[in-house]
Amino acid sequence: MLLQQLVNGLTLGSVYALIALGYTMVYGIIELINFAHGEIYMLGAYMGIVTFTLLTTLHLTSPDSGVALLCMMLAAILFCGAYGVTIERLAYRPLRTAPRLSPLISALGVSIFLQNFVMLAQGPRDKGFPELFIQGGIDLPGGRISAIQLFIMATSVLMMFALHLLVRRTKIGKAMRATAQDKQMASLVGIDINQVISVTFLIGSALAAVAGVMIGMYYGLINFYIGYIAGIKAFTAAVLGGIGSIPGAMLGGILLGLIESLGAGYISSEYKDVFAFAILILVLIFRPTGLLGADTSKRA
Amino acid sequence: MMGRPWLSLWKALAFIILVAANAHAGSTIKVGVAGPLTGDQATLGQELKNGAIIAAEEWNAKGGLFGQQIEIVWGDDQHDPKQAVAVANKFVNEGVVGVIGHFNSSCSIPASTIYRDGKVVQLTPASTNPLFTERGLWNVFRVCGRDDQQGSVAANFILRKLKKRKVAVLHDKTTYGQGLADETVKALEQGKIKPVYHGGITQGEKDYRPVLTAIRQSDPEVLFYGGIYPEAIMLTKQMRELGMKTIFISGDGVWAKEFTGIAGKAAEGAFITFTPDQTKIKEAQGVIKRHKEKFGAEVGAYTVYSYVAATLLFEAIAATRSTDSVAIAEHIRKTKWKTALGPIQFDKKGDVLVSPYVVWEVRGGKFVEIQ
Repeated sequence: MLLQQLVNGLTLGSVYALIALGYTMVYGIIELINFAHGEIYMLGAYMGIVTFTLLTTLHLTSPDSGVALLCMMLAAILFCGAYGVTIERLAYRPLRTAPRLSPLISALGVSIFLQNFVMLAQGPRDKGFPELFIQGGIDLPGGRISAIQLFIMATSVLMMFALHLLVRRTKIGKAMRATAQDKQMASLVGIDINQVISVTFLIGSALAAVAGVMIGMYYGLINFYIGYIAGIKAFTAAVLGGIGSIPGAMLGGILLGLIESLGAGYISSEYKDVFAFAILILVLIFRPTGLLGADTSKRA
Repeated sequence: MMGRPWLSLWKALAFIILVAANAHAGSTIKVGVAGPLTGDQATLGQELKNGAIIAAEEWNAKGGLFGQQIEIVWGDDQHDPKQAVAVANKFVNEGVVGVIGHFNSSCSIPASTIYRDGKVVQLTPASTNPLFTERGLWNVFRVCGRDDQQGSVAANFILRKLKKRKVAVLHDKTTYGQGLADETVKALEQGKIKPVYHGGITQGEKDYRPVLTAIRQSDPEVLFYGGIYPEAIMLTKQMRELGMKTIFISGDGVWAKEFTGIAGKAAEGAFITFTPDQTKIKEAQGVIKRHKEKFGAEVGAYTVYSYVAATLLFEAIAATRSTDSVAIAEHIRKTKWKTALGPIQFDKKGDVLVSPYVVWEVRGGKFVEIQ
């Protein structure tokens, strides 16, 4: 039982972590909570289905091949990346010098727009996700890890490691860190701030897209509404870890997934969401900077 | 807006005039149809809609009701009780004579008192919770059966047919789901069986692995679920993924092609309590055929029920030659009806006198009636 709940929690947590990274990176750079981020994840899930349908109706790949999955992931990444960058251009950039409430309202507007857009374009019904080639699992004493759970955890770890390398070892990563530290100073030393912000949205959206495709595979059903609750949960995870901190988002996501799973398993499944949001409130009261967040009082 | 209050006043006036004008534009007889027309239960709403459309078209083709055409007004309650109340108020304001709906008991019950106060007859094709008719309202009827009947059929099937003793019970905390689960537990306890697990889940979620893991601890032979098909799909899929061999049993809310279609192999061998096969009722052949012609699909679980509910309402309006809801309700109550579901008669409360439930099994991706 405990082992099984840990596996369930880690799977869920690694997905939360992927989405939370987008919240945290954007916040770190432009101090905006991008409430449309959950919808990007939802679009990723839809793009996965659309791509799969295209591939199979055109007989380009067999439905249970790894190639199909790879194409779904890549299509979702490209599509959502483009979406993320475009949203920033249209909805946030014009408001960059406006009072902080304006871009936040704009983000909520984008979120509602995208939800309804997908509802109208794809229909209000649940869509069944194709059963991909990842079947079976490993039986352990007192639990079972399904192949898909392993796949989700492995992919998430891989993505997080890649992000870590990108931020720490590349030129654009350095520019991102510099921008997060001090936008004005960074632009004075010749960093193209607009480009850095676009790249941040691109990376955050790509991670959310991967999360979307994976959650579609994991649950088997998606609808236009899944971005809302996932977005709120991932935001909670980002706050728990410390908004603006990349390792914080990873830790927060994993912790939140575990808290939810264990709470549902041992206390009550009906209060699953209550645990998550109780954590959010507690963190905000006792440690507003989160577990790994930097003390931002100097900046404010 | 702040500096020009006269503008908003003018708008409000215009709105009132428009609404008033609308209320007087009555050369049609309005009938409301309410259910989850969008959202995750849109399939069920669609069934309700199609049945009512066929009935209204038949009557309108015959010249309508005493020379007036029937106009259907749609209400989307998204299976949310709050929405249902809003829809009910809208219907009353629009002056509908009767309502076919709602689908979910959690919506039908709060809406029914608004219909009573607004003098509207309500016929539900699908709400099975006993409470709907138990509160002694004069305006409510149900064409389908009740969960106390359904629950005892499920419990008897588990005890006598499957001969299982370890039963876990799960529900979606809605009026329908929890009601059905509770009735089943009551019937099980009469057979001296206490469920090894009894709990609720949240509708609309996608991950039930934590609760299923907890259920697996008690090692049940059977899982009875009170709820609707979207959650049933998730439960069966994730149960099999966790390596559970537990038999899945549920009620009429899961009798939907999505369940067998999307859950696929995981749904195989599941048992569902539902009414006998409608395609075998000779009176139903006509409506089934018209449905196929018009919508190019087989009827759903409650399409024929919706058709029958609408037809009863139209016949009662025609027979009383009035739109007086009290007279219409009285007429529905005292008449021995011949319907597409066979003969129907209502008791004082508004329930049908005979409502047989049987057990269906999922075999080869299809529902098959087994007893």
